[in-house]
Amino acid sequence: MNGNLSKVSLAELFFTFAKIGLTGFGGGMAIVALTERICVKEKGWISSEEFMHGLAFGQILGPFSLNVSTFIGHHVRGIAGGIVAAIGFILPSFLLVSLFSWLYFTFHKLPQLQAALKGTNPVVIALIVVVAIDMGRKQIKGISSMIMALAAFCATVFFKFNAAWVLLAAAAWSLGISIYRRESN
Amino acid sequence: MPALLTLAWIYFRIGLIFVGGGYVLIPLLNHIMVDQYHWLSLREFLDGLAISQLTPGPLAMLATFTGFRAGGFWGGLVATVFIFIPCCVLMLIIGRNYHRLKNIDIIRHTLDGLLPAVVGLVAAAAWNLGATSLSGFKEFILLAAGFVILKWTKLSPMVVILGAGGIGLLIN
Repeated sequence: MNGNLSKVSLAELFFTFAKIGLTGFGGGMAIVALTERICVKEKGWISSEEFMHGLAFGQILGPFSLNVSTFIGHHVRGIAGGIVAAIGFILPSFLLVSLFSWLYFTFHKLPQLQAALKGTNPVVIALIVVVAIDMGRKQIKGISSMIMALAAFCATVFFKFNAAWVLLAAAAWSLGISIYRRESN
Repeated sequence: MPALLTLAWIYFRIGLIFVGGGYVLIPLLNHIMVDQYHWLSLREFLDGLAISQLTPGPLAMLATFTGFRAGGFWGGLVATVFIFIPCCVLMLIIGRNYHRLKNIDIIRHTLDGLLPAVVGLVAAAAWNLGATSLSGFKEFILLAAGFVILKWTKLSPMVVILGAGGIGLLIN
């Protein structure tokens, strides 16, 4: 932690990330770009290189837009800073989804809402297909990764395996390969 | 109504294993919420997916929706907090040991190596959801149009989903 960073108040951290969490429509990488502009360029809280490292770790651990917020918050004000930044970032979306959920489960039977959601359904599935294709083009290189993807697909679609078990099996396999490669190097 | 403790435990476990950009949540939550606990119907699950894509938060906001369904506002709060606890704690640990972590390659290689399985699981989720919820010509046209727009234009998913809602309102 740098000396001048400890002057940043927790409140400022909170409101900065709440603003990102409220206005960062477009999701995922759009938010990361916005975070980079505000935290690296405007406020100078973190260097560009450290930001990229945080992003790399964040991508491994799931929701990277949230993880990047936690990482920067921690960099600026330690553990409390990380927690405050994470809460600030998630809070607007949490309130929005809660409101939408309440509307949805209250007015479930409203014919207009049902008609609109009938239109969104196929598009949500299209979104998942696009994600699978984009991820596949980035992650599937070579025969062994192709087999792993196919095996995971077949295990859940045709053999009805629980997705969590498939994931754990893949992790065990991948860990074995990593250890084997390190030993043989 | 399931106890909040059960909810907390379920979402905490999901939070522990979600890697690879969060999309692996779709098959996991689908399995747990729809098949295992029957807290949501498949239709509700898909609607929740649409709703959680309307906010700037990560896809994991689906936890808020499914938690809300299972236990009201507090259910949504508990689900959201607990699904994010593991990744926040891990990020804090990483931030603390950041300078020493650069040489732990084995963790990175392991996580990179299992990403193809995540791709397979996401594709399987699309397959399962499509096979059980799509019916009729209109829906396949919407699926195709959505695919083309999302794949080859830079339009944000939020705009596309809102547009699809508008179209749904007009044609149904």
